[in-house]
Amino acid sequence: MADPVGPDEVRAVAEAALELPGADGVEVLLMHEWGGLTRFANSAIHQSTGREDTGVRVRVVTEARTGVTATNDFSKEGARSAAASALEMARVAAPDPLYPGLAQKAPVPERPGGFDEATAATTPEQRAEGVAALVGELRKGFRAAGAFETGAVEIALANTEGQFCYAPYTQSTISTVVAGGDGSGTAEKAASRVQDIDPAAVGARAYRKARESQRPQDVEPGRYEVVLEPMAVDTLVSFLSYLGFGGRAIAEGRSPFSGKEGQRVCGPSIYIYDDALSPDTIGIPFDFEGTPKRKASLIEEGVFVSGVHDRRSAKMAGTGSTGHALPPPSPEGAFPLNLFLQTGDATVEQMIAATKRGLLITRFHYSNVVHPIETTITGMTRDGTWLIEGGEIRHPVKNLRFTQSILEALSNVEMIGRESELASEFFFAASRVPALKISSFNFISASDH
Amino acid sequence: MLEVAQQAVDAARRAGADYADARFVSTESETLTVRNQEMETLNRGLSQGIGIRVLTGGYWGFAATARTTPEDIERTAGLAVSIARAASRLPMEPIRLAEVAPARGSWSTSVLEDPFTVPLDEKVALLMEASRRLQGVPGVTFGEASMDFLRRRSSFASNEGAAIEQTIVHSGGGIEATAISDGEMQRRSFPNSFRGHIRAAGYEHIRTLGLVEETERTGREAVELLSAKDCPSEVTTLVLDSNQVILQVHESVGHPLELDRVLKMEEAYAGTSFVSPEDRGKLRYGSDLVTITADATLAGGLGSFAFDDEGVPAQRVTLIDRGIFQEFLSSRETAPVVGGRSTAAMRADGWENLPLIRMTNINLEPGEGTLAEIIGDTKDGIFMTTNTSWSIDDKRVNFQFGCELARRIRDGRLAEVYRNPNYAGITTQFWGSCDAVGGAEEWVLWGTPNCGKGQPGQVARVGHGAPPARFRDVQVGVR
Repeated sequence: MADPVGPDEVRAVAEAALELPGADGVEVLLMHEWGGLTRFANSAIHQSTGREDTGVRVRVVTEARTGVTATNDFSKEGARSAAASALEMARVAAPDPLYPGLAQKAPVPERPGGFDEATAATTPEQRAEGVAALVGELRKGFRAAGAFETGAVEIALANTEGQFCYAPYTQSTISTVVAGGDGSGTAEKAASRVQDIDPAAVGARAYRKARESQRPQDVEPGRYEVVLEPMAVDTLVSFLSYLGFGGRAIAEGRSPFSGKEGQRVCGPSIYIYDDALSPDTIGIPFDFEGTPKRKASLIEEGVFVSGVHDRRSAKMAGTGSTGHALPPPSPEGAFPLNLFLQTGDATVEQMIAATKRGLLITRFHYSNVVHPIETTITGMTRDGTWLIEGGEIRHPVKNLRFTQSILEALSNVEMIGRESELASEFFFAASRVPALKISSFNFISASDH
Repeated sequence: MLEVAQQAVDAARRAGADYADARFVSTESETLTVRNQEMETLNRGLSQGIGIRVLTGGYWGFAATARTTPEDIERTAGLAVSIARAASRLPMEPIRLAEVAPARGSWSTSVLEDPFTVPLDEKVALLMEASRRLQGVPGVTFGEASMDFLRRRSSFASNEGAAIEQTIVHSGGGIEATAISDGEMQRRSFPNSFRGHIRAAGYEHIRTLGLVEETERTGREAVELLSAKDCPSEVTTLVLDSNQVILQVHESVGHPLELDRVLKMEEAYAGTSFVSPEDRGKLRYGSDLVTITADATLAGGLGSFAFDDEGVPAQRVTLIDRGIFQEFLSSRETAPVVGGRSTAAMRADGWENLPLIRMTNINLEPGEGTLAEIIGDTKDGIFMTTNTSWSIDDKRVNFQFGCELARRIRDGRLAEVYRNPNYAGITTQFWGSCDAVGGAEEWVLWGTPNCGKGQPGQVARVGHGAPPARFRDVQVGVR
């Protein structure tokens, strides 16, 4: 569909903005992305799309005043025009007493294998074949819906301090819900290389869940032991990150971790860290200010270590950037995009066998925050929930609504899965988590299906 | 830019499309945020490109590009056709579009004062003053004020002969006070949460909001919430302010009546619906007081336009009439499947996405009485205002929503304040329990600029008009 423009052309466009007269500092974030998404429902391809976009985002600073202008005109003139607009904005902005300056020139770590030519060049026909393989796993009476996406991104950051970083990378994801009768199941897979995606295996897994979800029964809401599969655990970890790990929110008292450095916040078996450089995730080796990425430990043995920082929140906290800046303007500050919940040594089967009376949960749906400081969220179960009694799965159950503190749940973890799965909702962000067995989880109501 | 769209249509036809339409879209935006008298965001954006949609052999294809040279358009049109041909790998009933007379015309949001020409320093000064006053309220930790502006120009052409140019302008502003103490954090917003009150209008809308004038009350309420008791857990009478009724309409009426959800086209992501085509004219969705319309012809809504993104003229459609479900939000593709006509609800997020069935302006039609009269007529209950949180299941049945502030209603008067209020229910039971709907004098057309749907994800800007309303026997204070 498209070819990379390459670092030389990217640098040439960036330099048109960096030459802006009258500014103390200029930073340019450039992006070129292309790819396709083959969407299917009722076991047919109904919304298949291809897209190529570009982006030039210029941050201009003058006397500690900042303005930002973004354009998708990926040309020298577009970059120049965006820079002039950003300077106009900066001149009317109030000075930022915490302005930390632009990132200094620094080497960026290598992250080999991030870009796969075959993935970048995947055709609609190849994605359609993948969807056909997935749908081919289903028997009569069941239907599949989902999306198979392949894409590539070139991202670069340049500033007037001499920093220039460039990284191309690719990503492929497939996800599906298989439904039929009165049950449904789901499965997904994300990888840097499309060759590492097995659509038939994803289809078979979702189909098995859908088949085993037939004739769900009512169960009373209340507190249950739960075995959460990785998709469900991802919801907990992602919301915890959203609520708490940003350095600015911590410094301003808006995070559940504010003032908790060095304190126990959950069970001693819990380790959470961010590592964009790991080969087990999909990430880029620098942040959106041009700071090189490095591993950041967030929770160790259940003790909160520290949050992540961009240059501004680092200055607030009297420390250095951890390389977690988001694209400007980012009023909420830094955010970890490559989370890991450290694996344990259990299998899901062992977790089920260890459960007296509880629920096996595939995933949560449409979750949202109830109380940010208590890390309480609410949401529904979806696409495969079963009652466990005496260490065995008894029957599927109708969907339940949970309202639960994440940190309380992570304080009650009894077993951690030995395998982890990568979940990726969008470019730049992917988290890798295992299954968990939790001794008590709060369900407050039930739905009718 | 209509010529570029027409070029794309011609290119798609040459590539083999049976049907083709194209939208050239240019979106400008400006965002300003001041917190504690510091400039948090001051940014502009420009995104433009072309999206080409084709039907080939009864299958859809869509391709979009930011690069709009004739060569890029030719290449992208060819890609759209290739995508459509690839879709035929999995056979299905060929898509048939409902007949629509090709529309030609132009339309623009009515704007008195172009927000993009109002000097930046004037906007910044207003936000600084609002922030300063919020910060001056004892106990307020953060005082934030914001404005958002958007102008989207679109040119639509199809091989059927449609040729449409539309320009929409949205302007919005709001203030938010945050108070933090002893492990508790409370927020109050005005006029609404999530960056205030956004309308299809120019800067004149900002001038009517009273952002500076409402700072004292907004800040004081945030601080008051810190020491308030948590909303008690009970089943009671619930009175919702207009700005929360719209969230209820959005989640439990608007989404379940999208026909693509009903036809399982969104099953993998957003989910489906508890409503089926056979329910039309039969399903009791709410009480006799509940009449809900979809009205893209309203002035000032984020879902206002003259033509949707497949060229169908804007309409006013009654979705629920005195409690009985009547009609879906639909498209040229989906309406014939259930034997109807398109209700003109196809909308795309920018040039880069294909149109989906989206809400337009979905409104709870007014009844009678003021909020004060509804409260005065309530012996015991809870009043809630201003949304904070929303969650609902994949068929839009079981929901739980949270608000910024609640107050006890005792003998027809507002009494003590409660913090962290929320309520839960089952969609048709909840609307069935509605026994009071406020009058036209309390009806407000709000904007919801953050409605997510589709893969790749799209964000729609939709409108909702509603008065306050009362519901009986509702579970509040869910824990």
